[in-house]
Amino acid sequence: MIKVFTSLYTYRELITALAWKNIVVRYKQSYLGLLLAILKPIMLMAIFTLVRSFIGIETDGTPYPILTFAALLPWIFFQESASEGVSSVTSNTALIKKIYFPREVFPITAMVTKLVELGISCLILAGLMVYYQMLPTIYALWVPLIILYTMVIALTISFFGAAINVYYRDMSQLLPVVLSLLMYASPVIYPLSLVRQKLLEEQIAGDWSNHLYTLYTLNPLAGIIDSFQRVLLKGTAPDFNALLPGFMLIAVLLPISYLFFKRAENWFADII
Amino acid sequence: MPIIEVKHLTKEYDLGTITSLKDNIRHTLAKLQGKSTWQRERFKALDDVNFSVEEGEVVGIIGHNGAGKSTLLKHLANITKPTRGEVIVRGSIAPLIEVGAGVNPELTGRENIFLNGAILGIPKKVIQSKLDEIIDFSELEQFIDTPVKRYSSGMTVKLGFSIATSMDADILIIDEVLAVGDLAFQQKCIERMEGMIKNQGKTVLIVGHNIRQLERLCSRIMLMDHGKISLDGDPREVCGVFFKEAQDRTYARHKPSEREIISQQDSGIIQINKIELLDDNKDTQTGTGLHEPLSVRITFTCNQNIDKLEVVVGFHTSDFVHVLSVSNALADIRPTIKAGVHQVVCRLNDIPLRPFSYSLRVAFLDQYRQMLWYADNIMPVSITAGKYDITRLPTIGLIDVPADWTFHEQDDKNYHENT
Repeated sequence: MIKVFTSLYTYRELITALAWKNIVVRYKQSYLGLLLAILKPIMLMAIFTLVRSFIGIETDGTPYPILTFAALLPWIFFQESASEGVSSVTSNTALIKKIYFPREVFPITAMVTKLVELGISCLILAGLMVYYQMLPTIYALWVPLIILYTMVIALTISFFGAAINVYYRDMSQLLPVVLSLLMYASPVIYPLSLVRQKLLEEQIAGDWSNHLYTLYTLNPLAGIIDSFQRVLLKGTAPDFNALLPGFMLIAVLLPISYLFFKRAENWFADII
Repeated sequence: MPIIEVKHLTKEYDLGTITSLKDNIRHTLAKLQGKSTWQRERFKALDDVNFSVEEGEVVGIIGHNGAGKSTLLKHLANITKPTRGEVIVRGSIAPLIEVGAGVNPELTGRENIFLNGAILGIPKKVIQSKLDEIIDFSELEQFIDTPVKRYSSGMTVKLGFSIATSMDADILIIDEVLAVGDLAFQQKCIERMEGMIKNQGKTVLIVGHNIRQLERLCSRIMLMDHGKISLDGDPREVCGVFFKEAQDRTYARHKPSEREIISQQDSGIIQINKIELLDDNKDTQTGTGLHEPLSVRITFTCNQNIDKLEVVVGFHTSDFVHVLSVSNALADIRPTIKAGVHQVVCRLNDIPLRPFSYSLRVAFLDQYRQMLWYADNIMPVSITAGKYDITRLPTIGLIDVPADWTFHEQDDKNYHENT
C-alpha cells in the first residue's frame, strides 16, 4: 500500500501530464469548455429542487438547493471518478502495449482529472454560499480530507473494476448502472439526517431499524456526503458514527482491490 | 556484470478468443473437483531464450515475421511478463517500441512533447531545456502549435523520434523505428542513433527488417527463428546467413528449372520460354565464381517484329539492391527481330561480385525504351569465391574490381618533393 504513495510521488509528473491531457482533449474543441463540467450538478440540483416542491423533503433548516448541490459535488465526483477509473486501463490500450509504468497510474489519473472539475463545481458552491449568506467556518478545513477519502473509495472500485474490465468489458457498462442506483441509496436527494430521524428516532422498521441504519452507513458515500454538508454548510464536525461503517469496509476492500489489480497487471498487455 | 540478462525466457499465448465467463467458471469448478478440463492450444512466442548483453553493446535482433522479436522486446521493457524464466535488467530503459505510441492526435506538437516526455519518464525540466533541440530536430518548427491530428504520418513519426531520443536512459530499445520518415530524415535518425551509441556509450537493442541498416549500426546481431535465437554474433555473418536463408526459401519455393517465370510488366508482345544460367561448356549452372564468366540464355517468343530490341540483364540482392546491370544498348548490338522464337545469350565475361546469393532480373525494351517485359527475382544466382581464397576477401563491399597495388619506400625528401 505504501508503494502506491511512493509511486504516486515518483510518477507525479506523469499523472499531472496525463490528467492535463485528459482535460485538454476533452474540452479542446468545445466552446463552453470546462463550464460543461458543472452543467451536470446544476441541472440535477434544479431537477431535485423541482421534485422536492411536489413531495417535500425535510432538510432541518438548510435551504434545499444548496444542500442538494453540496451532496451532488462529492457524489458526482465519486461517480465519475469510479466510472473513468474503471475504463481508464482499457482506454489507454496504446500505452499499455507500448510502454511500462505502474498501471495504477491510470485509475489515479482518472481521479486527478475529475478533481479539476470538482474544483470548478466548488466555485459554484461558493457562489451559492454567498447567495444564501453562509460563511464557511473552521470546519471547512475538513474538505480536503473528505475529498481524499472519496478518492480512496473511488480508487477501491477503480482498481478492481479496471482489472476486471481488461478481461470482461461488461464492467465498464454495468458500473454506471449500479452507481446510478447507488445514488438513491446515498443521501443525495434527501439528507442523512432524515434517514437517521426515521430509523434511529422513529424506529420505523421496528427491531431492524438500528441494523438498517448501520447497513445504510456501510455505504461510505453516506458518511461522506453528510460530512461534506456538515463541515461546509452547518459548520459542525463530521458525524463519525455515520463514517465508521463505510470506513471499515473500505479499509478491508482497498488492499484486496489493489493486490488484485497488481496481480492482474502482469497480463494486461497480453489480454487487452 | 551484464546489463541485460535473459534466462530461459519462455512466453506462451493462448490461441483463440478469450473464454467467456461461463466457461471460466465451469473450468474452475471442474479443476476444483480434480477433473481435467480441455486445454486451449498454446503458442510459444518465445521458447527458452537465453542471452546477456554487456553495457555499451549495440544488439540488433532480426528474423522473419512472427519469430518473436517484438515479444522479446516487450519483455525487456517490462510490458509483459514471462510465462517461465526471468529477465533481469540493470538500468533504466527507454522503450521506443513503435515511436509515437503516446502521441495524442488532439494535442499540438508542443503539448505532445511534454506529454510524451512525461510518459517516457523525462523530467519536465529536462524537456523544457531540450525543447528547442527537439523541435529543431523534428523539422516541425512551423507546425509545432498545430494539433497532431492534422500532421502527416511522417510528421508524427518525426515528432515521436525526436522526443524519444532526447531521453536519457541506460538502455535504448528500438523497434522498427528506422524504417519510417523520408530518406533524409532516416539518415538524420541514423546519425543521431550512432551518436548516442558511439559518444554516449549507451546499450541499444534494435529490432528491424532493414538488415543493411542494422548491419551497419550493430556490434552484434541475434537471429531469431520460431521463438528461439538461432544465431548470435558478428553482424556480417549473421546477416549473411539471414539473407542466405531468405534466398533459400525463395529457391525452395520455385524449383529453378520448372518454375514459371512471373513477369512484373508484360506488354504481351514477348513471352519468355526459358531462362538458363550457363557456363562456357553450355552446361546449366546455378552460379559461378568471382571474376569468372557466366552466360544468361533467354529463349523467348515474340508476336511481332521488333526494331532494335534492347535486353537488360542484371543481378540484385534479396533486399533489391541492384548491384549489376548490363544492356546490349551500350555495345549497340541491337538487332531487329522478326516474330517467332529467338534465343539471346548474354555472356558476362567477368563477374565482379562478392561471394553471396543474388537474384536475376531481365528486361526487354523496344527502341523507344518502352518496357516490353520485365521481371526481377527470377532465379537465384550464387556467386562463390571461385579460384580465390574466401578468407582473404574483404568482409564488406559488394563489388570487387581488379586492382593493381604498388608499394615502395619513400624517404622524407621524396615525400616533400611530391607534395
